[in-house]
Amino acid sequence: MIELQLLLGGLQNGALYALTAAGFALIFGATKVFHVAHGATFTLAGYVFIGAWNAGWHPALGVLAAMAAAVAFGIAMERLVYRPIGRHEGGFFTVFVAAFGVSIVVQNVIAMIAGRGFANVDSPLATATEVMPDLFLAPVFWISIVAAVAMFLALTIFLSRHPAGVALRALAQNADLLRAYGLSSGKLSVLAFALGSVLAAPAAILTAMTSGINEAIGNHVMLISMAATIVGGVGSLRGAALAGLLLGVAESVVLVFLDTQWAEGASFMVLFAFILFRPSGMFGAAVAR
Amino acid sequence: MIAYLSNIATLAAIFGLLAATLNFMVGQAGIFSVAHAVFMGLGAYSGAQVALLLVPDPFLACLAAAVVAGGLSLCLALPALRVRGEYFVAASLGLQMMAVTLFTEAKGLTGGMGGLVGIPQPRIFGVVVPVLPLALVALVVFLLLMAAMQRGSFGRTLGAIRDAESAAEALGKNVAVAKALAVAFSAAGAGVAGALFALHLSFVNVESFTLEQSVLIMAMLIVGGTGTLLGPILGAVLLLSLPAALSFITFIPPTDIGSVQQIIYGGAMALLMIFRPAGLLGDQKRGRSEA
Amino acid sequence: MSIALTCQGLARSFGGVQAVKGVSLSLPAGQVTALVGPNGAGKTTVFNLITGNLRADAGQASLHGKPIMGLKPWQVARAGVARSFQDLRLFQHMTVRDNVLAATEPSGWFWQPGGAASRAARLARAEAAMEAAGIAGVADARAVDLAYAERKFLSMARILAAEANVWLLDEPASGLDLSSRTRFQDLLKAARAQGVAICLIEHNLDVVMALADRIAFLDRGEVLAEGEPQAIMRDPKLAAIYFGDRK
Ligand SMILES: Nc1ncnc2c1ncn2[C@@H]1O[C@H](COP(=O)(O)OP(=O)(O)OP(=O)(O)O)[C@@H](O)[C@H]1O
Ligand SMILES: [Mg+2]
Repeated sequence: MIELQLLLGGLQNGALYALTAAGFALIFGATKVFHVAHGATFTLAGYVFIGAWNAGWHPALGVLAAMAAAVAFGIAMERLVYRPIGRHEGGFFTVFVAAFGVSIVVQNVIAMIAGRGFANVDSPLATATEVMPDLFLAPVFWISIVAAVAMFLALTIFLSRHPAGVALRALAQNADLLRAYGLSSGKLSVLAFALGSVLAAPAAILTAMTSGINEAIGNHVMLISMAATIVGGVGSLRGAALAGLLLGVAESVVLVFLDTQWAEGASFMVLFAFILFRPSGMFGAAVAR
Repeated sequence: MIAYLSNIATLAAIFGLLAATLNFMVGQAGIFSVAHAVFMGLGAYSGAQVALLLVPDPFLACLAAAVVAGGLSLCLALPALRVRGEYFVAASLGLQMMAVTLFTEAKGLTGGMGGLVGIPQPRIFGVVVPVLPLALVALVVFLLLMAAMQRGSFGRTLGAIRDAESAAEALGKNVAVAKALAVAFSAAGAGVAGALFALHLSFVNVESFTLEQSVLIMAMLIVGGTGTLLGPILGAVLLLSLPAALSFITFIPPTDIGSVQQIIYGGAMALLMIFRPAGLLGDQKRGRSEA
Repeated sequence: MSIALTCQGLARSFGGVQAVKGVSLSLPAGQVTALVGPNGAGKTTVFNLITGNLRADAGQASLHGKPIMGLKPWQVARAGVARSFQDLRLFQHMTVRDNVLAATEPSGWFWQPGGAASRAARLARAEAAMEAAGIAGVADARAVDLAYAERKFLSMARILAAEANVWLLDEPASGLDLSSRTRFQDLLKAARAQGVAICLIEHNLDVVMALADRIAFLDRGEVLAEGEPQAIMRDPKLAAIYFGDRK
């Protein structure tokens, strides 16, 4: 039964990874920015929620605050970091170092304010009950799954129906063409960052409710997001989400054989296996260089 | 005071070597890695084990470190370099995070959390030598090697790959081999630095090979400027003197010193990339384009 | 007249777009074959398939009778196929001399084989190539600082220095003024005289008529016609396609 327990735990984690990774992939697809500070968005949202909770705010307000913080941070990164670098034609390296630098700042500012080590909120939603003999599930399990599915559906509908969503997809296909039609790619980039960042917030909140978060969790989230984008196939939202799910399950199922400190290793192995055997990812097309 | 200065000088040489070899990979070859501390660690553990189990001969220790670090780096490089640049960064980040676990768990080789203690002082023909001259020699040797390569055909090959990979291939260059060689060379240099680090402190544990350390090395490189030979050394000296400088600022509580340092590294990296992308010494024109 | 490079039935699609469908070509040694056709006809893609930059869905290619399909781009290059790129892809931050020298140094290893003698020979080759391309005067300038025509000739100098016997040139003369174009044509004529098999993608029909021994007309991924320049140019159907009033 431990296997089933771990599998379900993996699904819960994976659903949250899927959301976060989809946000990263959305940003990467639309703006071609490898937004490694996405992990910092996650950390920030999580800590804002914890702070609001500890301050006695209504949880719904806390959720809103976390989402607002995520969106604000994402937009600030776009306006204050990526756009100036893009203006002087900075390459991948420049963008990566700058974003990585910001992540380090966020991590340590949080450590100074909130202290190092794990922080979480004690929510009754995270209390597991025995649903079957030897199988424990907490309401957050269902919340995670439902939240992931709902947000993903909403995103899909937005991208396929709403004019701005369609424009975003077009931006991913061909930025020059879009500019030729007079659509501002600047505004669309902001939209992409806002959407992508907001996807990280629920995952951060739910993680804060269950296993807790620490100031360095952004590194792990960053790794998962990059790995999921690559495993899913660069450019595919669906792929990134599925790969996030896969990584969550892999990290959990590996615990059948190994101790918890190897969980991260499982993600790395999945990433490496894909790089070795299927570099185009699950849904990616091979691209000419 | 002399002991303090010589300690700082030794560390400056060691970290100068680390930053300079990372620069070779990033600045010359355009391959981006956040796992330099892993290769430093591999070298440190191999060098320390040589000194502990065989002889405390620094040359043997450095050789072992270079071979282990350079060799194992190929296991990462060969697959990850076949694909886009972003993949290598992701793979190296994953490696960095997993390596810390590996270093902690492989207790037989690394001593786990407790680390390896009592590493004997290096001896050449039975005479104890301080690490400072060794580190300086290593730094100079690697700088000369890199300068020679930069001027020679290998430097041209790496420059060509960095500027236009497909055109380099169209001229018959086996891009994968050239990149893998650059990575192995750079990792071997980091390994040597690690071995010297272990001999210098006579103690190593996993704490020295974490993501924070990789970030520190990267920050040294960024501050000094990629693509220049001496920039990384300047960066190393600057950032190594930062803790001493911070200790003069009394209002920072001692528990936060580490965080403040990290914030300065991170902030410097971000601000430099936005306002001065080629670093303090770098050629700004070059930093502006696709480097 | 021997055939240096042939390909049969090359095909490649991108998603739903069939960019190249069953292209067969042969490039005789010592002749210039012009590959003409409207934008998006698939000309560049044909080059990419031959050089291994793209994997073909179907088709064969062989160089002097030896199959080269499935080889990596660097292997094709070492077998003796040099190519230029429509967007040049110069080594921007290297000097002109280093750009050309790089073309004489195929090995990706730490050093090149052959020692000092071969190093001197390579340098001489590079200098000769720069001289021939008329860029010896800017040998120490960085590629990024060159003027437009100089960049085009640098791209040609790299090919000259590579000493390949098949050249695949992707719009090398586009945007050149008349005198540069003449210089360019002389360069190609000299190479042709030495037996190089040249395939030239070119939109300017003056250049095509001045250089081409044969023309292959590509449209929507298919070779519609192949043969003598005069015959191809007189064909009203091709002219209609080329000049855009297709029915
Ligand atoms: N890597 C690729 N991925 C997707 N589609 C591609 C790719 N390369 C080419 N195509 C498509 O294949 C078709 C042929 O392109 P190609 O570049 O070969 O045309 P061309 O004849 O060289 O045109 P031009 O004269 O404009 O250079 C075009 O529709 C193009 O969009
Ligand atoms: Mg073309």
